[in-house]
Amino acid sequence: MTIDNGEDHTKPTFFGRAALESLERLLPRLEEGDWAALVLTGKPFVFAAGADITEFPGATRELAIEGSRAGHELFGRIRALPYPTVAAVNGACLGGGVEIALHCDARTISTAVRHFACPECFLGIVPAWGGTQLVPRLVGADTAVRFVVANPMRQNRMLTGPEAFELGFAERLLEPAEFLDESIAFALERPQNGVRHRDEDVTEVLRKVRARLDGQVHGAAPAPYRALDLIEGALSGWSLEEGYAAEEEAVGELLPGPQAQASLYAFDLVDRRARRPPGKPDAEPLPIRKVGLVGAGLMAAQLAALFLRRLEVPVAMRDVSKEALASARETIEESLAEQVARGRLDEGKARFLSSLVSTSTGYDDFGECDLVLEAVFEEPDVKRQVFAELREHVKPECILATNTSSLSVAGMGADVGIHFFNPVAVLPLVELVHTPDTGDGALATAWAFAEKLRKRPVLVADAPAFVVNRVLTRLMSVVLDAVEHGTDPEEADEAILRLGLPMAPSVLLQMVGPRVANHVLETLHEAYPDRFPLSQTLANYAEGRDEIAVREQAPRAREEILEAALEALADEVRHLLEEGVVAEAKDVDTALLLGAGWPFWLGGITRHLDQAGISERMFGRPLAEMGAGAPTR
Amino acid sequence: MRELREVFYVDGVRTAFGRAGPKGVFWRTRADDMGVKVVRELLRRSPSLPPERIDDVVMAATAQVGDQGLTLGRDVALLAGLPQSVPGFAVDRMCAGALTAVTAGAGEIAMGAADVVLAGGIEHMGHHPMGDDVDFNPRFVAERLVDTSAVTMGATAENLHDRFPQLTKEAADALAVRSQQRAAAAWQNGVMRETVVPMSVFTDEGWRVADRDEFLRPETTMEALATLPTPFRAGGRVTAGNSAGLTDGATVCLLCSEEAAQEHSLEPRMRLVAYAFAGVEPELMGLGPVPATRKALERAGLTLEEIGLFELNEPFAVQVLSWCDGLGVDPEDERLNPYGGAIACGHPLAATGVRLLAQLAYGFRERPDVRYGLSALCVGMGMGAALIWENVAAGH
Repeated sequence: MTIDNGEDHTKPTFFGRAALESLERLLPRLEEGDWAALVLTGKPFVFAAGADITEFPGATRELAIEGSRAGHELFGRIRALPYPTVAAVNGACLGGGVEIALHCDARTISTAVRHFACPECFLGIVPAWGGTQLVPRLVGADTAVRFVVANPMRQNRMLTGPEAFELGFAERLLEPAEFLDESIAFALERPQNGVRHRDEDVTEVLRKVRARLDGQVHGAAPAPYRALDLIEGALSGWSLEEGYAAEEEAVGELLPGPQAQASLYAFDLVDRRARRPPGKPDAEPLPIRKVGLVGAGLMAAQLAALFLRRLEVPVAMRDVSKEALASARETIEESLAEQVARGRLDEGKARFLSSLVSTSTGYDDFGECDLVLEAVFEEPDVKRQVFAELREHVKPECILATNTSSLSVAGMGADVGIHFFNPVAVLPLVELVHTPDTGDGALATAWAFAEKLRKRPVLVADAPAFVVNRVLTRLMSVVLDAVEHGTDPEEADEAILRLGLPMAPSVLLQMVGPRVANHVLETLHEAYPDRFPLSQTLANYAEGRDEIAVREQAPRAREEILEAALEALADEVRHLLEEGVVAEAKDVDTALLLGAGWPFWLGGITRHLDQAGISERMFGRPLAEMGAGAPTR
Repeated sequence: MRELREVFYVDGVRTAFGRAGPKGVFWRTRADDMGVKVVRELLRRSPSLPPERIDDVVMAATAQVGDQGLTLGRDVALLAGLPQSVPGFAVDRMCAGALTAVTAGAGEIAMGAADVVLAGGIEHMGHHPMGDDVDFNPRFVAERLVDTSAVTMGATAENLHDRFPQLTKEAADALAVRSQQRAAAAWQNGVMRETVVPMSVFTDEGWRVADRDEFLRPETTMEALATLPTPFRAGGRVTAGNSAGLTDGATVCLLCSEEAAQEHSLEPRMRLVAYAFAGVEPELMGLGPVPATRKALERAGLTLEEIGLFELNEPFAVQVLSWCDGLGVDPEDERLNPYGGAIACGHPLAATGVRLLAQLAYGFRERPDVRYGLSALCVGMGMGAALIWENVAAGH
């Protein structure tokens, strides 16, 4: 039996309504025929990529339950077939793909499989076609909670074929060359659906994972907790039918809920919408054969390593300090060596790439550059001088870009802003800043440059601190205000963490560096003094003094702080839209998801603000309906 | 147990090598017609051989489509006017095509299945760009079976520079300059007159005679090479100056058994002593001749010191350098490519092998003291070929 949507491998097979109906039509033949065995597999390179999530937005409780029940019923009938059944997992196998495979007696898996996972919790739901019941029965509690809960919550980590085999998901690990022939031979050996007994302290495993989960999501996302309950039930003696019923109940609650709906929205932003990104210029990008970097700080060195790895072109670095250049070179060498150690880069190739770096205290090596990125410290006069000098040393068609995190791109004389996020290797966002003078060609080249670096551009206007830093700073202002009113900093952190953000405001502040954060605040204060008051506390931190400047003793409750934070966020997004910094609220959300690691279940932030009724209360309509530059009242 | 028969090389010729593409001299000439030309010239040079006594015509091509598509050996035999009784076939081992045609023909002779065989190769890279019409199995990428750079020959040459940092761009450029200088000198002496067949070809400027390789640049200097762009990598080391260009060309040679040589009064120039093919990492395909040479020497029971002439293909200077490095031969050694290499004359993939043999045979005549010679080349997707010959015309 082949799972095949009739399209090529670039369009994976999903279990939508049509697929389930097709299975229903086929099952009587499987049940009545005189078969020796069933081998279930996918079209080339894909086993099955799970449910068709395009059917999920706006789903009701009834629809969710009905969908779950249909899968239980149909997959259950595969499980009940009176002859050996083998799932031959030949390619990508996600969610419902894993679940249908687990309803077979045994599984073979190809060494070429790179995606084997149950990502449901990542999307705010739970596996509801038997996954929470059959996974723990097959591989035990420890592996099950990692597979169903921990991996999806770790940036949706997936298993390879060999890993899945090692963990017990398949009985045979086979080479791809004759994968199906060997799987058929295996099916004819009449494999038994083996129940494995593991000596595990289930209660202890679950206690530990629940504690870890609290530390990560602070109760903000219900799905992983529900998945743990279901796994616990499966291992506590539930019959499969009881388990099925519990899954139906859980998904009936979760799927229509705000977190799941926001997650689906967020997934659409970073997945489908990203394939045809709005704002991408049609102009032909210029080829980039050499890149210049001005500044040799830590971030510049990380950027240089990224350019080498992804573009494989010469990189000229310039800094006034020879020590900085030497240490940048060291950072680059270390980064390349690490890639070699991880087997991602050939040693000789690394040697070649490292030979492409030239360092100088002058601009002698910049004549051939097609694009130069400025990454010196955030001082407008220094930047202006850098760009004035650059114009004299580069060829006329060279694109001059800045990595500034808050200053005016046009004001310093750059053609375009390409704002990367720290850590450069981890966060996929770049804010692509266009000024009134940015030509289509320059923008297209900067866009292509970012994409070749495997970064995700979001187009923003040349406004102070752009999007991510502006939103984060506005949030920080709320926290600082609470602290300066005598709130315990830990209480303020806890209040914000209830949203399930990846780190507490105080931790983020340390990561960004108080000096940088205060500088961004000053820039924003200059532009918008009412919404971004200066903070003596932050100024103290910036000067290295760990001293809170309490203005008034009026500590605030967690609820109060959270409410103030959400209102401030909504207000700032409205201003971003009103000023036309971004084209729509989706751009803000994309930027926060990819540049700040904000969680899917908030849908960036605007989906949550709209769902919670905050936008409606403040502006009379949801942020999603506001267009750029239009009056919002 | 029956005995194998010795196999002898009698003679070999080639067309001039042209620049592939609309500006090249062969652009409006069919690939199989180039094969016809060299076959007819080869037979003209052995008038004592009755054409009906040819037992097989083996022709190699990498692209076996279009004007190279009709079972080339048979196609060329019929078009050349050989009797219909003479069969033919086509082989492909990319750049080692002609050498594989030779070893296939040699096998027929050694086995006693043939007495006289024509073996050669044709590649019209203008009509058939490399990789054109190839449908790569998606498993290569899906299963990461080979590095993606393996399918771009220039990228594999860059990889050689990566792997062996001691093989510098300067050394590669120096080898290229030497290749051009030696080729220029060779066109002054007899080797090209003897091995290159002038052919009248129709061009945009009317009929012309193609009688000289189009890649010759005797004026090449280190300074000029240093300024050339590196098309395979920004900041790379492989340039048009230290690589062989994309080439159109055809070659063929005459092989026979000892008995056939006597019967038809043919004069064997070389005896095939041993040969070997070997595989290496596809992304380092240029390394192929190193293990192939070692294997062939071992089979011949010879050492490298006993080899007096090396005819190595030269698709990239770094490829020759890597062979020298692997076997401990000085790149400036006079035994190595005395008449220049493919950087100067061009490299029409499946045709090149017989050019190496023709020049080796000429070298044997110039150096009667030399007993053994080696012809070797590297092959795309990671292979090498090496054939060891004995200078029998000099009485060895």
